[in-house]
Amino acid sequence: MIRFENVTKVYDAKSRPALDSVSLEVDRSEFVFLVGASGSGKSTFIRLVLKEDSASRGAVYVAGQNVANIPSWRVPRLRRGIGVVFQDFRLLPNKTVFANVAFAMQVIGKSRAVIRETVPEVLKTVGLEGKNNRMPHELSGGEQQRVAIARAIVNRPGILLADEPTGNLDPTTSMGIMKVLDRINSNGTTVVMATHDDDIVNTMRKRVVELRNGAVVRDDAQGIYIGETEAVAE
Amino acid sequence: MRLAFILSEIGSGLRRNLSMVISVILVTFISLTFVGAAGLLQLQINQMKGYWYDRVQVAVFLCVENSTSPSCAAGPVTEEQRDTIRGMLESETFTPYVASVEYESQDEALGHFQDQFANSPIVDSVTADQLPESFRVNLVDPEKYEVINEAFSSLPGVDVVSDQRELLEKVFSVMNRASLGALLVAGVMTVCAILLIATTIRLSAFSRRRETGIMRLVGASKAVIQLPFILEGVIAAVVGALLASGALWGMSRFVIGGWLAREYPETAFISDQQVLLLVPALILLGALLAGVSSLLTLRRYVKV
Ligand SMILES: Nc1ncnc2c1ncn2[C@@H]1O[C@H](COP(=O)(O)OP(=O)(O)O)[C@@H](O)[C@H]1O
Ligand SMILES: [Mg+2]
Repeated sequence: MIRFENVTKVYDAKSRPALDSVSLEVDRSEFVFLVGASGSGKSTFIRLVLKEDSASRGAVYVAGQNVANIPSWRVPRLRRGIGVVFQDFRLLPNKTVFANVAFAMQVIGKSRAVIRETVPEVLKTVGLEGKNNRMPHELSGGEQQRVAIARAIVNRPGILLADEPTGNLDPTTSMGIMKVLDRINSNGTTVVMATHDDDIVNTMRKRVVELRNGAVVRDDAQGIYIGETEAVAE
Repeated sequence: MRLAFILSEIGSGLRRNLSMVISVILVTFISLTFVGAAGLLQLQINQMKGYWYDRVQVAVFLCVENSTSPSCAAGPVTEEQRDTIRGMLESETFTPYVASVEYESQDEALGHFQDQFANSPIVDSVTADQLPESFRVNLVDPEKYEVINEAFSSLPGVDVVSDQRELLEKVFSVMNRASLGALLVAGVMTVCAILLIATTIRLSAFSRRRETGIMRLVGASKAVIQLPFILEGVIAAVVGALLASGALWGMSRFVIGGWLAREYPETAFISDQQVLLLVPALILLGALLAGVSSLLTLRRYVKV
């Protein structure tokens, strides 16, 4: 579903590459943790999948297609196949929960009828039944992240990218979010989650890819999080 | 759905940036009013040219009692002199130049004078014998005035040969300069409008960066992301163009039609219908202005 072939990303020629010759394959319906210290290149990986940025060297394939060959006018179509959530939720503060999720469907031209039918279903999937008309500021952090997840999956993308989705949440709330992501994954969606939350990684026992200074240093099936002391930037 | 969505985005964008939108409207209004004023002047020049060029003539004025030119030293024109002049004008030498000749007597001159200055007190103090009789000559080619001037101006009994077209040309050149001035102001105001539209869109893009960021992530097309911004600018500019059209129409109806036309009944003025012809051009210009300036701005400030 996602394949990196010797991908190097250089933002600034004077500093070391953000990604350094990364080769990695993520299969359909897999759940992968991307771990590593801050600055190790996790967010860069996600940006490259979304074609928010392009690789300096090497090739990035998403759903079998080299993203370098996607013309700019087709990039929206690529992104419709990918959901994303971030540490800071990125909800629209002046829209209700329902409207925030519906927004993702409106902007790609879904009909009102489809939106009315789909949004409540998805809100139920993420455990937000009955909160349709709440405003974001009336929700807890965990609930806000659930809205963001609902928005990311409402167009049924094949891939869900999560960039430190539990970074702002306490451990209990974080576990709730992980249950939601696990449920989405078991419905067939490929999930790549960047995190440096060791508890979560150790509890979930999923594939772990560790980045250090932009290079893949470990790729374990059902791995654990190995201490951050080793991952400190040189 | 998508249309309704874009419309509601535009609505909220216009409301959010109301004061900027109003300034865009006003600046395009002013700039297009000047563009339109220049256009009106050109229309008026054309109108007058069309009307006058058929009618203006070379006038060969004949001597009266108190004419001062050397050829009038012998006093008022005599019957004989008048016949000679007419004969020459109608002779074969001049047929290539002269289309037609008309004689205007002193009484007819007084009649025209009274018509033209109907509202003025000088009418009562002028008598027929003060006004020169004249031959009104229509030229085949109005540019060939010199031929007539050279041949007739020093003929005994001729006071002066005057090219009325030259007078008109002076009027036109003043009007042309005025319309150039209007265009210059319009140019400066248009630059203001473009910069203001660019600033407005930048602000609008900034205040909506969350929305556009999310739109990008969920795969909204470039059109859906950018159209609300572009249309915001275009709508403001078109409103400005409509105001400008209204102002020009009012000007033509009340200033030209109502006042000038009454003061100068001899002159053919443009009608307010002709002004309406300018409206689509102004709207198009406003829309183009906003469209181009927003496209350029968006390329820098709204990533797609
Ligand atoms: N837009 C950018 N411009 C320049 N350097 C960047 C940019 N984004 C990230 N970097 C650099 O790339 C490296 C990897 O960053 P990032 O992918 O954000 O790591 P992580 O998400 O693991 O914290 C860091 O050294 C960071 O400073
Ligand atoms: Mg990061």
